[in-house]
Amino acid sequence: MYLIKKSDVLNIAKALSAAYQVYGPVVEKVSGQTFFEKVDDISEITLAAPIPAAPPKSVVFPQAERIMSYRYAGGNTPVEIKPDYAETPKALFGLRSCDLTGIQCLDRFFLGQEFVDDVYRHHRKKMFIVTNTCVVPFKYCFCVCTDSGPCADEGYDLNLTDIGDNFFVEAGSAQGEALCKKLNLENASEQHRSEKNACVDKSITLFEEFSTESKAWISRVMNRVTTGFAKEDVWEYVGDQCFECGACSFVCPSCSCFNIADASGGNGSCNRLRTWDSCSYEGYSRMAGGHNPRKPVEDRRNKRFFCKLSYSQSKKYLRPGCVGCGRCNWVCPGDIGLPNVVKYIRRETTSR
Amino acid sequence: MNQKPGVCTFCGTGCGHFMNVAGSTVERVFPSLNHPVSQGRLCVRGWNIHELLNTAQTINRPFIKKDGRLSEASYDAAVSLLVERLRGISPAAIGFLASPRSTNEEQFLLMKLARAVFKTNNISLASEAGHRGSLNVLHGGTGMAGMLGSIQEICQAEFILVAGSDITKQNPIIGSEIHKAAQAGAKVVTIDSRRTQMAKLSTTFLHITPGALKLAVAALAKYIFQEGLIDADFIKTATKGFDAFSAVLGKLSESEISARTGIARDEFKAVAEALSRSRTAMVFFSSGISGLDEDTIGYLYNLLAMTGKIGKPGCGVNPVAGLNNLQGGYDMGCAPDLLSGFQPLADQAAVKKFSGAWGVELNTAAGAPIYDLLSKSPSSLKALVVVDHDEGFIRAAEALGKLEFVAYIGAYQNRFMDHADVVLPVGRYIEADGTFTNTDRRVQLAPKKAEPAHAVLPGWKLYTLIAEKAGVKWNYGSPSDIMDEVARLTPAYAGISYKKLASAFGIQWPCNEKHPDGTAHFDIAMAGGSITFARVSGTFDMPETSADFPYRLMIGKAQDFWHKNNLMRKTFIPMREYNATLLDYPEGYVEIAPETAKALQVRNQWQVKVVSPYGELPLAVKISEDVKSDTAYAPYFAQDMIAPLLAGHPEIVQKGEDATIPIRIEKV
Ligand code: SF4
Ligand code: SF4
Ligand code: SF4
Repeated sequence: MYLIKKSDVLNIAKALSAAYQVYGPVVEKVSGQTFFEKVDDISEITLAAPIPAAPPKSVVFPQAERIMSYRYAGGNTPVEIKPDYAETPKALFGLRSCDLTGIQCLDRFFLGQEFVDDVYRHHRKKMFIVTNTCVVPFKYCFCVCTDSGPCADEGYDLNLTDIGDNFFVEAGSAQGEALCKKLNLENASEQHRSEKNACVDKSITLFEEFSTESKAWISRVMNRVTTGFAKEDVWEYVGDQCFECGACSFVCPSCSCFNIADASGGNGSCNRLRTWDSCSYEGYSRMAGGHNPRKPVEDRRNKRFFCKLSYSQSKKYLRPGCVGCGRCNWVCPGDIGLPNVVKYIRRETTSR
Repeated sequence: MNQKPGVCTFCGTGCGHFMNVAGSTVERVFPSLNHPVSQGRLCVRGWNIHELLNTAQTINRPFIKKDGRLSEASYDAAVSLLVERLRGISPAAIGFLASPRSTNEEQFLLMKLARAVFKTNNISLASEAGHRGSLNVLHGGTGMAGMLGSIQEICQAEFILVAGSDITKQNPIIGSEIHKAAQAGAKVVTIDSRRTQMAKLSTTFLHITPGALKLAVAALAKYIFQEGLIDADFIKTATKGFDAFSAVLGKLSESEISARTGIARDEFKAVAEALSRSRTAMVFFSSGISGLDEDTIGYLYNLLAMTGKIGKPGCGVNPVAGLNNLQGGYDMGCAPDLLSGFQPLADQAAVKKFSGAWGVELNTAAGAPIYDLLSKSPSSLKALVVVDHDEGFIRAAEALGKLEFVAYIGAYQNRFMDHADVVLPVGRYIEADGTFTNTDRRVQLAPKKAEPAHAVLPGWKLYTLIAEKAGVKWNYGSPSDIMDEVARLTPAYAGISYKKLASAFGIQWPCNEKHPDGTAHFDIAMAGGSITFARVSGTFDMPETSADFPYRLMIGKAQDFWHKNNLMRKTFIPMREYNATLLDYPEGYVEIAPETAKALQVRNQWQVKVVSPYGELPLAVKISEDVKSDTAYAPYFAQDMIAPLLAGHPEIVQKGEDATIPIRIEKV
C-alpha cells in the first residue's frame, strides 16, 4: 500500500516507458472521444478520461494482425514459411477494471485451454498492468452486476484509486511492488485503505444515479437463459433487430471470435492475417457450423447472448462472459446491446 | 495519439470513423461516437473498411498498352500519351465517366478537365441510375437538388414512410436511425413487395403486389385527398400545381387500386390518416443503385407536399444515395447538362461566371451521358476516360472495344484495365485530404491519414498534371484551394472551407451568408415561399399475370450491387457476408411462399424451372414467409443466371427495386 500525489501519478507511466511500450487513455481533441492508445508522449494520457470507446483488447488481440507469412515461388521451389508477429513488452496504464476482466477472459480462451495460442501469448508476455478504480461509473456501466468492478481485485501489477489529493496504490505482484519501491512512493496507512474502500462503496451507490442506461439484472437472466426459460418470441424480437454489423463482438472486451485470411502480396508472397470476427455474421456461423444449416438471424443472436449469459459458457471463463462495460449498447444499430436484451428477457418483451 | 478521423467511403450515409494508421497500413477502424449521423455505429462494410484499404490489389504505377499488353510507364509518358490521343479526337467524341466515389475536389477537377481543357460536355457518373431522377423532382419542386430533410432529424419525425427500399441492407445506419425513431414511438410504415428487415421493424407493413409501388403511393395520396386529409392551408399558401395532381388522383378507381396493389382500402386509409395527423413526417427511398423511377418519386414528393410535410423540422422527402459521393458528384457538376451546384449549362449567366473564372470560353453544345452514347450503334464516342469504376461487371463492354482510346484512372485493380490503353493510378482514400457529400448534403472533410504506399499521385495532383500537359496551368497548392474555388463558383457551397470543416463533423449545404453553419432541412423561404407539385404521368403499367404465367417474380437488386462490387471483392469479411446466401444455393434460388411450395409440391432446395415469356432457367427453391403467395423473388446477383429470363428486356431491369416479370414455376 502506497500513496502517490495526484499531480505525480503519470510518473508511474513515465517510469514504465523506459522498459515498456505504454498504452493509456487518451482523449481525441475534436470529438472528445477516449481511446486506449499507444502513447509515446506520456503527458497525452488523461487518467480520468471516461471509459475508452474501444476496449484495450486490441493490444493483445488486434483487429487485424499478420501471424505468419509465406512465399511460394512456384514449381519445385520450397515454400518459405515463417511465424511473423510482434513481441514488445507492453504496459497498460489506467485500465478500467471491466477491461482487465475482459483480458482475463481472453487469457482463458487463448491460453487456458488445450491449445495455447502462441500469437496471443507473445502479446501477453512481459506485460505490466496498472488498473484505475472507477470512482464514478459511466452511463452504460453495469460491472457491479457482473462481478467485474468498479475496482479490480486481482490480475493487476498496480491498482490506483483516486482518494482525493492522492492515489491509493496497491501492488498486486512482485514487479508492481518493485516499481513502487523504485519510485520511492510514500507508504499508505490503514486509514488510507479505509478511505479507498469508502470510495469504492460510494462508487457502487452512484450506479443508481449515473449508470442510467444499464439496469441489468444479470444473475436472474442468466438463470433463465441457461434453463431455456427465455421465451422464443423474445429471441425473435431480438433477432429481427440485428443489423449484422459485428460491432457488439468488436467492442466486447471478452469476445474472441476471429477469422483467418490469406492476403496475397503478389509474387507468390502471402500474409496470413488474423482478424476480428463476429458470431452475428451469417458467413461466420456457417464457417463455424460446418455444413450449412440455414441459420435464421435470431439463432445467431442467441449464440452471442448464450455466450455472455449462460452458465455453461461461464465455465469456460470461470465467470460470466459479460464484464458489464455496456459498450455493445453504445454501438448497436439495433436496440439490442446486452443490457437491453437482459431487460427484454426479464420483461418478456416481444414487441414495442 | 494515432487516431485519424474520416468518413466511411462505401455508402451515401457518410458515417464517421477513426483510423489507426501505421505507415501506409490501417491497423484499426473505430466508429466516431459523437458523429451526428452515425453516433457510434458502423455497418459490416464500414467496420471492415481496413480490409479494402490494406489490399495489395492496388494499381501501383502507370501503364501503357503495347502490343495488346499493359506495360509499366512513367506518369510523364502515360499522361503525355493520354493528352496526345485526346488531342487528336474532336471534343464531341470524347467522354468522361466520373466516379461516385471520388472526392468532391477530384470530381470538380475532372469536370473542369472535361469542359475547360478538353472542351467536351460528355461527362456523367457511373452507377448513378435513379439519383438524377430524385434530384430532378426535388429541384423542380423546391429548387433544392438534395435531400429535403436530414438524417439527424429522423428522431423528430412522428411518421416515417419507407418506400420500396431494403434500407437496413443498403444504408444500414439510416435504417438504424429509423428503427430507433420507431422504438421511441414514431409510426413507421414500409411499403414493399417483399418482407424486408425494415418491414419487420415497422409499425405497419403494406405488403404490396410486385410492381405496384407507384400505384400504392398514388392510392395513399388519393385517400388523403378524398377523405379531406390534405393540409389545405399549406397547399393554398405555399404550393403551386395541386389541381393538376388532384385531377390525376380523381381518375383512380378504388376497386382497381385494391385489386392491383393487393392492399385493402381500409389499410390505405389508416396509413393516410396517420400521415395526415402526424405533425412531422418523412419519406425514404433508395436513390442511385436500384433507385426508383422519376414518376414514382414524383408521387412520393407530392404525397408529402399535400400533407404539408415539407419545409419543417423533422420533415422531408429523402432520397437515400447508395454510394458515398453520388450526391457530391452531382454537386460538382459531373453531368452533361449541369455545372456545379445544379447550375444548368444552359444558363448563360452561369456559363459566363465559369468561363470568366477559368479564363476559357466554355463549349455550351449539349453533351450526353456516357452510357447513352455507348448504347448507340454506331456510337459517336471515340475516346473515354474512366475513373474508379467499381461496379462488378463492365457494362457496354462491346461498345468499349470499338473505341479508339480508353484511359482508366483508379486506385484499385479492376477489370476495366483490360479495356484501357493507358492506366493511371491515384491514391487510396486515406492518402490525401478530400471532402465527400453524403446523402443528407453533409460535406465532410476526411484529412490525409497515410503516406502513399507506392509512388502514386493523389487524384487532384494527377488531374492538375493532365491539365498542365495539355497546356493549362492550374495553381492549386492543396485540395483546400480547390474547395475554395468550388465555393466561389457554387452558391450552395459558398460558405464552405476546409478551415470550417476541420473543426466540425461536416456542414450541410446550402451553406452561405444566410446559413453560415449550413442547413439541416429545406425551408419554404428558400424557395421564395412556394413549392411546386411534381407532374406525374397518371399511368400505372404493371406486368400482368396470366394463366400461363401466374406468379410475379421480383428481381431483388438491393444486395446485388455490393455483392458484385469490385471493392467488396478485395475484402474478406464483407465479401464472405455478401456471398453467404449463395452458400446454400450456389446455383441461385427463387424464394416462394409456403403456400406456393405446397401447391407446387416442392420442398426447400428442390430444383424447379422458372419460365418467363422471355426464357427459362433452373433454380433451387427457398421457402420463405417474406414473399406473398402469388409472388416469387430472385436475387439479382444471380444475374448471370437470371440473364436468360431478361435477355433483350433491359427496360425491366431499369425499374430498380420494382422490377417484376410474370413467370410460372415448374417442378422438375
Ligand atoms: S457483452 Fe456488451 S456489456 Fe458485456 S462485456 Fe461485452 S460489450 Fe461489454
Ligand atoms: S451490434 Fe447489434 S446489430 Fe450489430 S451485430 Fe451486434 S447485435 Fe447485431
Ligand atoms: S452505413 Fe454506409 S457509410 Fe455507414 S458504415 Fe455502412 S457503408 Fe459505411
